[in-house]
Amino acid sequence: MAELLFWPFVAGLVLTGMHAWFGLHVLARGVVFVDLALAQVAALGVTVAILGGHAVQSEAAYWYALAFAAGAAVLFAAVRAHEAAMQQEAVIGIVYAVSASLGVLALDRAPQGAEHIKQLLIGSILTVTPQEAGMLALLYGLIGALHWILRRPLLEASFNPLLAAARRRRIFLWDVVFYGSFALVVTSSVRIAGVLLVFSYLIVPAAIAGLFASSVRGRLLIAWALGAAITAAGFVASWHWDLPTGPAVVSAFGAAIALVALGFASRRAILMAFCGALALAGLLAVAFPQVEQPWLDAVQEVFLDEEERATRADSLQLVTEASAEIARLRALEQDLRWGAKTMDAEKQERLRQYLAGRSELMAGEQLVLQQLRATARERQRYALGIPLMLMGAGALVLVARSARRKT
Amino acid sequence: MHDPEIDIQEQVIRGARALGARDALAVIVASVLAAAPGPGAAQGQAEGGKLQVVATSTDLKSLVERVGGDRVEVECLAAPDQDPHALEVKPAQLARLRRAALLVRVGLDHEPWLARLKTGVPVVDASRGLRLLQSETPRLRVERKAHVHAFGNTHYWLDPQNARPITAAILEALANLSPADRPRFAANREAFVVLLDAKIRQWTAALEPFHGARVVVIHDSWAYFAERFGLSIVAAVEPTPGVPPSPAELAALFKRMRETGVRVLIADPHSNPSLVRQVAEASGARTVTLHPSVTDGDYLSLFDSNVQRLVSLLGGR
Repeated sequence: MAELLFWPFVAGLVLTGMHAWFGLHVLARGVVFVDLALAQVAALGVTVAILGGHAVQSEAAYWYALAFAAGAAVLFAAVRAHEAAMQQEAVIGIVYAVSASLGVLALDRAPQGAEHIKQLLIGSILTVTPQEAGMLALLYGLIGALHWILRRPLLEASFNPLLAAARRRRIFLWDVVFYGSFALVVTSSVRIAGVLLVFSYLIVPAAIAGLFASSVRGRLLIAWALGAAITAAGFVASWHWDLPTGPAVVSAFGAAIALVALGFASRRAILMAFCGALALAGLLAVAFPQVEQPWLDAVQEVFLDEEERATRADSLQLVTEASAEIARLRALEQDLRWGAKTMDAEKQERLRQYLAGRSELMAGEQLVLQQLRATARERQRYALGIPLMLMGAGALVLVARSARRKT
Repeated sequence: MHDPEIDIQEQVIRGARALGARDALAVIVASVLAAAPGPGAAQGQAEGGKLQVVATSTDLKSLVERVGGDRVEVECLAAPDQDPHALEVKPAQLARLRRAALLVRVGLDHEPWLARLKTGVPVVDASRGLRLLQSETPRLRVERKAHVHAFGNTHYWLDPQNARPITAAILEALANLSPADRPRFAANREAFVVLLDAKIRQWTAALEPFHGARVVVIHDSWAYFAERFGLSIVAAVEPTPGVPPSPAELAALFKRMRETGVRVLIADPHSNPSLVRQVAEASGARTVTLHPSVTDGDYLSLFDSNVQRLVSLLGGR
């Protein structure tokens, strides 16, 4: 595990370090989607490089991406002065949509690049090399140092543009510095981690930190600690539950912000959400009895008669046994295929046929279980659905009314 | 359940019907764009009297050209190396498709976008009657990971023996459209099959020394090729394109590769380069990039170059 995840984890920490800082700025400026737009413009740059005959992974492609993203950065800086005429967020959205479409138009002329552009945007943090992580740390160290030296005007331009204007700061210039360095960061990060992960690193730690601290230093420290902890949690989940690493880390970010929101929500809001969910579950059970509701399956025994319960127990046992046996034989099949074990051809063929037959039998048992589940669902439909719906809705009304009385 | 295959079948039965009013606008727009021959030309007949055929892959295009010779003009919807799953048809192509005398497609679920193009053009589904690999229904694979293809692995053209039934189906369809040319088409196909047989013997002989060699592939495209030439695919690194493998899967794969000494990795041109590099570095495998579809050259040269690449990699051990 360690050899495979060490460098990706280092890359995750480097991303946390840089993006938490930019995240604070981006949230203060209210330009949450600027990073997606810059990433898309950078991808357009790569596409143009492909059209020019360069390989996707080449240096040239990187410089093309950077040049395009820098162009967009200057555009975003220039638009800010005209906020009254056109919202910056609108421009960012337009740049995103148009650059994505231009990318498709360009790829129409160079279709072999389409897969690579897709991969570029998905990213693969698991395949980070030590060199890449090192280069990223070096680059972000330099950008971080520059931003630390220039922190006063940069922070003023983001957090307090009126004060900056009063001090006769050249806001456009500082915006160019900000968006320009941000373009460099986004272009470099997306190559390694993909847009979704980069977006999460940028927004989630900074957003959560904003709930707990008001000073920039406090927010930054919290965001760093959070980013590192969530990265670790995502990596552990990815290893433990056998999940693709990037999406697992993004989901960990989502879970973190959901937990924080739950902590901040009032007890009444949580209660109301719970009642609402109860009523909705009842409504779904009545309207669409076969819809996936795992908790209904958990209590299906109660809704089956004795004979049906016995059948279900038999089938469950058979499925468990068959699964274990099939798993064992599949492992044997794998060993044979890899050459770790040997077996003569006739026996191999018999194994294959036995496996196919056993799977078919197990599928039959699963069909029985499905049928029983459907039977139980039909009985649960009104017996459980209607009381739940009434209870949930009633409790919701009571809670809402008591809230109104108190206010 | 709605079955796109049935739609296509219905269209086959209906045959080459005239353009409906619904289609008129698209065709007008497209013919302006394409500056193609006007609507005066008969359906599927170009000015030189050649049959206009549209194929969805470069491989099928090459096979149609072999059978049709100079009596057909074949247009391919997907560019070489393009992922045919995610093709966006352009107006000019749509117009050409609707004017075509024949559409030759890979079939199965290889071209999901095709089901929505109601063209009314006769269709040859090249997958008909072929023995498909990995065609167990999803129900039987409950405990395994999902496969991208619901009806079986679609890369059947990578078994050169399959070119025989495919060209036979193309021959039938072309001869139905132009009965006078049947002897010519039949002679073309016969010549191709003779050449194909000689080539298959040559490729089989070239790969014979490596019979049973164990290889790891990035994507599941090579099942037919491997079966024909006696390679044994032990694992696919990325069974679902676009879904990166989990660290546990990769770790297990690397361990297996190191333990069992499997040192050959087959990549596609659109495989993720950083994934390919990582697998190669962690396992000590050598990588060869094979083309699953004709890029330049034709169907036979596709195998020539793939076989040659494989031989030079396997022989260099």
